[in-house]
Amino acid sequence: MARYGMLIDTTKCIECFSCRVACQMQNGLPPEESFIKFYGQEEGTYPHVSYYTVPVQCQHCENPPCVANCPTGASYQTEEGVVLVNEEKCISCKYCMVSCPYQARVVSEKTGVVEKCRFCIEEVRQGKEPICVTTCVGNARIFGDLDDPNSEIVRAIAKKKAKPLRPDLGTKPKIFYVR
Amino acid sequence: MIPNRISRRTFLKASAATAALLSLGTFELETWQRLNAEREGEVKVTPTLCNACSSKCGIKVYTKNGRLWKVEGHPDHPYSKGKICARGHGLGTLAYSPDRIKEPLKKNGEGKFEPISWEQAYQEIGQKLKEIVAKDGPEKVVYVEDPRPTGKFYGPRFLAAIGSPNYFNHLTVCSNARDTGFLHTIGAVPGSDIANSKYILFIGRSYGDGVRPASVQALVQAKENGAHVVIVDPRLNNTAPLADEWLSIRPGTDLALVLALSNVLIDEGLYDKEFIARYAVGFEDFANKVSSYTPVWAEKITGIPKETITRIAREMGKSKPKAVIEQSWRGGFGCTYANSVDTGRAVALFNALLGNFQQPGGYIFGKPPQLGKLDPTRHPEPGKSSLPRIDQEFSLVDPHNGVASILPKKIEEGKVKAAFICQTNPVRGYTNPKVMADSLEKLELMVVIDVLMSETALVADYVLPEPSYLERDDVIEGISGGKPAIALRQKVIEKVYPHTVPADQIFTEIAKAAGIGEYFNFTLEELNRALLAPLSISLEELREKGTIVLNDPVKMGEVPKLKTPSGKIEFYNESFKKAGFSPVVEWKEPLVKPEQDSFRLITGKQSFHTHAYTVNLPYLLQITKDYESERLWMNRKRAEEMGLKDGDLVEVSSSEATSKIRIKVTDRIHPEALFIPSPYGNYSPYLTLAKGVGFSYMDHVPYRIDPMGGTSMIHEVIVKIRKV
Ligand code: SF4
Ligand code: SF4
Ligand code: SF4
Repeated sequence: MARYGMLIDTTKCIECFSCRVACQMQNGLPPEESFIKFYGQEEGTYPHVSYYTVPVQCQHCENPPCVANCPTGASYQTEEGVVLVNEEKCISCKYCMVSCPYQARVVSEKTGVVEKCRFCIEEVRQGKEPICVTTCVGNARIFGDLDDPNSEIVRAIAKKKAKPLRPDLGTKPKIFYVR
Repeated sequence: MIPNRISRRTFLKASAATAALLSLGTFELETWQRLNAEREGEVKVTPTLCNACSSKCGIKVYTKNGRLWKVEGHPDHPYSKGKICARGHGLGTLAYSPDRIKEPLKKNGEGKFEPISWEQAYQEIGQKLKEIVAKDGPEKVVYVEDPRPTGKFYGPRFLAAIGSPNYFNHLTVCSNARDTGFLHTIGAVPGSDIANSKYILFIGRSYGDGVRPASVQALVQAKENGAHVVIVDPRLNNTAPLADEWLSIRPGTDLALVLALSNVLIDEGLYDKEFIARYAVGFEDFANKVSSYTPVWAEKITGIPKETITRIAREMGKSKPKAVIEQSWRGGFGCTYANSVDTGRAVALFNALLGNFQQPGGYIFGKPPQLGKLDPTRHPEPGKSSLPRIDQEFSLVDPHNGVASILPKKIEEGKVKAAFICQTNPVRGYTNPKVMADSLEKLELMVVIDVLMSETALVADYVLPEPSYLERDDVIEGISGGKPAIALRQKVIEKVYPHTVPADQIFTEIAKAAGIGEYFNFTLEELNRALLAPLSISLEELREKGTIVLNDPVKMGEVPKLKTPSGKIEFYNESFKKAGFSPVVEWKEPLVKPEQDSFRLITGKQSFHTHAYTVNLPYLLQITKDYESERLWMNRKRAEEMGLKDGDLVEVSSSEATSKIRIKVTDRIHPEALFIPSPYGNYSPYLTLAKGVGFSYMDHVPYRIDPMGGTSMIHEVIVKIRKV
């Protein structure tokens, strides 16, 4: 069984929001709700300044506090290590939102259902890639099996020394970032 | 069949007024999968063309049960290469916008729009047009467009049938200056082979803001190959992550930089001598002229250290021919400053010095696909008008672009009586909106063809609604390039508003009513088949594939015959001389200069909007809201000096207007400049989402036209700001 992960190379991301909108369409989200948030970073002072942005979505933690804190079992982890929400069981208590250190979860204002990135598991199980990956204009995203030592993602993580965001939190995220 | 386990959201959505947006909402995963399996065959993928910007990328549109689901990039299309930008995704919902124009409208005596029948619209417009042509002459009729595929065929043919030469498009605020500079010095505007380049210099052009997906991918590839990328821009734009250095140039002085770079190349013998000897004329005159434009000289003008200029020139000289100054479009010299045409000339010539023509990593002169035409024995072709154009004083400007911003002047002079405007918004986008709107209002006949009620539509006599780009077929698009290609925009979903009519039919019917119907005795399908005939590709095949790249690549290493009068690169230029300008490019100051207490207002794209066209789309506008992207960028130090903080509301005032906006304090901008993104400031009450968001850059642009390139010189604007 594959264990899915993603690499996001911020040295290639131009903050174009293509992944954000593609994801919203794919998942039928309303415009105000987005699974991907951007944290722009300006460094230095004029004229010696640089800019990059960090796209953040659910990190599909291996050790997910959102799942641990969900009282109804609505938040769960699949065999592939993908963290999902069962809408039928979600009672909108928002415990998971509070416990997610990456602020990856969004609540639908209309329905109260809590949602987040699902690694496009429907697509992935059909042999495709998540749509944020296929549409990434800067080729900044790689998706694949973290357990396959020959996968593109595993080689890229090693080669580019990619690291998860805030590994100190102990959640063991499965999204790796290049800076 | 109604599924029994749809989620709460889907229920709510279906009951909400916005249910039309997406009929299939988010299902709980297992439900989603089951439904998906059950409904196999109901997901349909149709290849077509995007309409979110002028690039018109190839896309694949997914529908579920006949409604839009999602959009993907077409892998074969030369501009998308399998990916599309945020605009391309977000534009998909245009068809379902409640702000669509749903039926033909006519302005009544009180200035209000009333629905009329198509028959009435055709008859009245045709009749009026006939009268104007008979009374005032055909040259009093003008046609203005973006351009997009159908308009590009039908518009000029319609003009020719009337007998008018007056074709215009939006390039007066895009690339007219660059085009003029390039055409007369190297005969065309080549593309840059970015993927294979080793040294890339961008002047104002930002791949991360005016996104064309294939270009961004090419730049990423170049970076992976170790290319050096330099951004020359008063603003550190969103290509920043892909750049190695940022030269924060004083706005309007790019010409000085390029002249100084040329100076070093020539002075140190780093240019391609053989190439110049073989392909150029007048090199000595140019060399003499630039001998005084040293890096020391340029440092004072541009603010870029002389050492940096010398180093970059040397590095580019050493990397030639795999070094390039990207050709840009609007960028820093497409239509921005009084010296933009000269910057365009200097850029074209600098690339010539690098000998990079038809070389990997340099400039590539592409070729168009050889499309066919209608059989003139069955479909009589109108002869081209021999009357003078109303913008003939701009003798250097390509008549395929025209100088659309001349319209207000010519309308005042009584030289234009009727205008047909197709899917473009000259009031908001071409020059000062007040000037443009006031003059267009004086026309005897103004017809706008569009999907949404733009500010230009507001001043029209007749507004004729088209189906959106997903609901219609268009004329086949020929794409020039290193490998020419053809692509088709075709119908993906049924018309949402049944009373909308595509432009090809609108032109045909008006032509009939105006007595020139014999030139439009064919259907769009017949036309498209005729265009395809020489390529031995059937329309059916093109429908299935959407985009087809032709196996007819340009020969690399072989410089094509240049389309200049001499057939060579013209360092000394007779055409400029004849038009009353210096035959050899020389330094020219920008028109205006900020003082101690004022700023130059500059503008540019954001990756998720195109002009004023996309702001009314919910997915794209939401990005603006979430990231407060409509703010005015201000240099941190200047802000501190003025006691301003990030997010403060300020008043921006110029000779033309006063606007209020909050500021974004940043180190990413030159202290003498303020940056405002271009799309905002919509005021049409029919654009219910976009109206009132941000302010319009163009409100501050004085009505002036550059005599060389016919552009609106949109960055020649000085403003003061104060806290409110
Ligand atoms: S990122 Fe947040 S929502 Fe996603 S698995 Fe980790 S804790 Fe849960
Ligand atoms: S993996 Fe899918 S659901 Fe997650 S952010 Fe990307 S597109 Fe959205
Ligand atoms: S699509 Fe790619 S480049 Fe664009 S914002 Fe998303 S991650 Fe960045």
